[in-house]
Amino acid sequence: MVKIKSKIEEEINAIFSSDRPWVTIVWDDPVNLMDYVTYVFIELFGYSRERATELMMKVHNEGKAVVSEGTREEMEHDVARLHEYGLWATLQRGDQPL
Amino acid sequence: MGDSATWGPTLMSQSHGFTRHGEELFVAQFSDSEKEVLINLSQQIIELLSERVDQHDQDPLAAMVGITVHDSPPDDEVLLRLLPNAYADGVDAAEFRRYTESVLRTKKQAHAMSIRTMLMSSEDGSIELNHELANAWLGGINDIRLALGVRLNVEKNSHEELELLAPDDPMRGVYGVYSWLGWLQGNLLQALMDGIES
Repeated sequence: MVKIKSKIEEEINAIFSSDRPWVTIVWDDPVNLMDYVTYVFIELFGYSRERATELMMKVHNEGKAVVSEGTREEMEHDVARLHEYGLWATLQRGDQPL
Repeated sequence: MGDSATWGPTLMSQSHGFTRHGEELFVAQFSDSEKEVLINLSQQIIELLSERVDQHDQDPLAAMVGITVHDSPPDDEVLLRLLPNAYADGVDAAEFRRYTESVLRTKKQAHAMSIRTMLMSSEDGSIELNHELANAWLGGINDIRLALGVRLNVEKNSHEELELLAPDDPMRGVYGVYSWLGWLQGNLLQALMDGIES
């Protein structure tokens, strides 16, 4: 019962909180070097080398990957920083299809 | 993504690229021709990124806080790659651009500026970068590569096709510089990554 109640609260919170969840997506492109993309993920997001490499490979193999999640404001900040370093990034609502 | 593994310094062969000195110092020695190419291309990026600034009448107050009149994506393909849309949705993309594009331009210009000014003040072509400057150089070199990549149409033309450009094709020279910059960026990255725990 407690579980169900907290589940419902969670759902209600999700409906009323407009500031979550958004995602930042990085798209594959033919110029950026694989090492460069990995390095940018480490520098900007503080990800471990493994995590950064994994995300880079996902971008490379699947054409895109979600690299961060958070509020819309946070994702706009992430996209701006990725653009500063020349990565092709966009943001969108987390519940929208990629 | 691009690939630098097999790219050597085809055009300019004197350079050894960047090497790490101690904890946080990255050192390279550039020849006169390499210096010239890098200074030149950085200058072009700086100019390209300032093009739109004075084109329209600006609201001076808006300009002061970094808001521009530009909310449409740039027509120029190179500029569009350097200043891409942040949203798939046109209205959201325009709004975001209006409030952020001038800041992005300034940051990219600063990266290119650090390459240009450091090389111009280095008599013998030797360059020493700390971590922060190394990041500025990486971003600046990357912008040049993105710009050349659009011109070379690397999206459509494969590596092999570009290798086969005729010796008198002006694009061959551009491709030579593009390859060299990929190699240079690759070895600066290598030097930086050596310091990151795996």
